[in-house]
Amino acid sequence: MFRYRPEVAWVYLFKLLPYLKVTLFYMAGALAIGIVFGAGLAMMKLGKNRPLRYFAVGYTAVMRSLPPIILIFLIYHGVPLLARRLWQVNISGLDTVYFVILALGLSSVATLSEIMKSAYLSVSGGQYEAAVSNGFTPFQAFRRIMFPQALRVSIPNLGNALVILMKEGSLGYTVGLIDIMGRANLLNSTAYGNDIYEIFFTLAAIYWLASVLIDRSFRFLENKLSLERRIRLKEAGLIAANPQGGITREP
Amino acid sequence: MLELSGVGKSFGKNEILRDVNLKVAAGDVIAILGPSGSGKTTLLRCINFLEIADQGTMVLEDRTIQLPRAKKSEVAFVRQKTSFVFQNYNLFNNKTALENVTEGLIYGRKIPAKTAKEIGRKALEKVGMADRSDFYPSQLSGGQQQRVGIARAIAGNPDVILFDEPTSALDPELIGEVLSIMKKLAQEGTTMIVVTHEMSFAQSVATKAIFMDGGVILEEGEPHEFFVRPRHERTKQFLRSILYEMEYTI
Ligand SMILES: Nc1ncnc2c1ncn2[C@@H]1O[C@H](COP(=O)(O)OP(=O)(O)OP(=O)(O)O)[C@@H](O)[C@H]1O
Ligand SMILES: [Mg+2]
Repeated sequence: MFRYRPEVAWVYLFKLLPYLKVTLFYMAGALAIGIVFGAGLAMMKLGKNRPLRYFAVGYTAVMRSLPPIILIFLIYHGVPLLARRLWQVNISGLDTVYFVILALGLSSVATLSEIMKSAYLSVSGGQYEAAVSNGFTPFQAFRRIMFPQALRVSIPNLGNALVILMKEGSLGYTVGLIDIMGRANLLNSTAYGNDIYEIFFTLAAIYWLASVLIDRSFRFLENKLSLERRIRLKEAGLIAANPQGGITREP
Repeated sequence: MLELSGVGKSFGKNEILRDVNLKVAAGDVIAILGPSGSGKTTLLRCINFLEIADQGTMVLEDRTIQLPRAKKSEVAFVRQKTSFVFQNYNLFNNKTALENVTEGLIYGRKIPAKTAKEIGRKALEKVGMADRSDFYPSQLSGGQQQRVGIARAIAGNPDVILFDEPTSALDPELIGEVLSIMKKLAQEGTTMIVVTHEMSFAQSVATKAIFMDGGVILEEGEPHEFFVRPRHERTKQFLRSILYEMEYTI
């Protein structure tokens, strides 16, 4: 029988919320790994070096096919084993969250490298050539012309990737991670399954709210960086400078 | 001023340029004609190091540069002394018209921003785009974009400007505005190498016409001679086909 008591859900909300910290922490960690190494992988994919390109493409293909839970299990159980074998160090005492970050990071390296690669390719290569032909160094051409445009293109996809990261990380509870998911699971056992709706609807609401917030902030960012906005601002400036209203005459 | 000798370039097994020799004196306007795939774009790109030639030497001002083994400093030197106007403009879409002109001055030539702006304004004025200097490329018509492209090319005061079919991406009614600017530049003594299918431009503005076919320069000469009495059968054929096409479109 379905029974839902808002006042109980309310109590659970405050029991769960502090653990959002953990969720945000693994998201930030995995995102950082993904951005740093994903940029490297994207460069390999776009570069001329064939072995590196094959490596990058292969890595991405493997990661894409791998269910995140397998990766989490492999990292959580496999890495301490490896560390003991190879360097005789015991890292099984390390907080679970770091293993989850590593696992999610490895897969987001692949995801983000794809996002960065396609964003870069969406900016016409002719602009790069025009820049170096104009005397830019390759780095300047990237930094001033290609990167700003690619960044703008990639923002919606980055937001999506972050939401997916958040959800994949909830699998961390299977290796004992106490994030909001892990905490909800514990609360549920403590209540012998009696408060299942109050707990998991509340949990779902938190995830929902977080993803809405992520979406909103990425949309805000996208708008902030958009060319349309800069054009509007410029036009506002032009109109202010020229009260007649007409922007300029046809030459 | 600019001299190319023995330029060769292959893509894989395809030999695209073969022993191309070209002498450009100050004030020359050289029109390069030729069928599609004859290597015209590749030649211009090799001059600007957008493509690295397999063989050949370039003499530019007082420097002699081995094209396949150019050092970074030599590439930078050549790019300072030459500039490129692209078929599809290749303006920086995230920069205004003025910034499109000044960025290369500021970052490529280390000219102070303020001076660069003055130079940029003058260049835009010259192509009739001064009143569009705050516009982004997406707000400009193709002809206007190409005029900004030309402003960007003249701003650094290069020895030679390379034009790769500057009007072929334009709607017919916009071609005139770009050609007339190029004509003006030519009359002011700007040295230009122009790949074009605009016969009337080549005929009336160029000081030398070159016909390329299959990666080699088949024929070159004074435009007058070249158009009226082409020596090579291929040149004749080509000119006839172009003229026919022109009549056909009219
Ligand atoms: N990057 C490249 N890789 C492989 N082949 C290329 C490359 N660039 C050009 N080619 C080939 O070289 C040949 C000459 O090309 P190019 O663009 O120089 O011709 P073009 O004379 O400019 O022709 P069009 O009038 O069509 O512009 C073509 O067959 C083209 O397919
Ligand atoms: Mg071409």
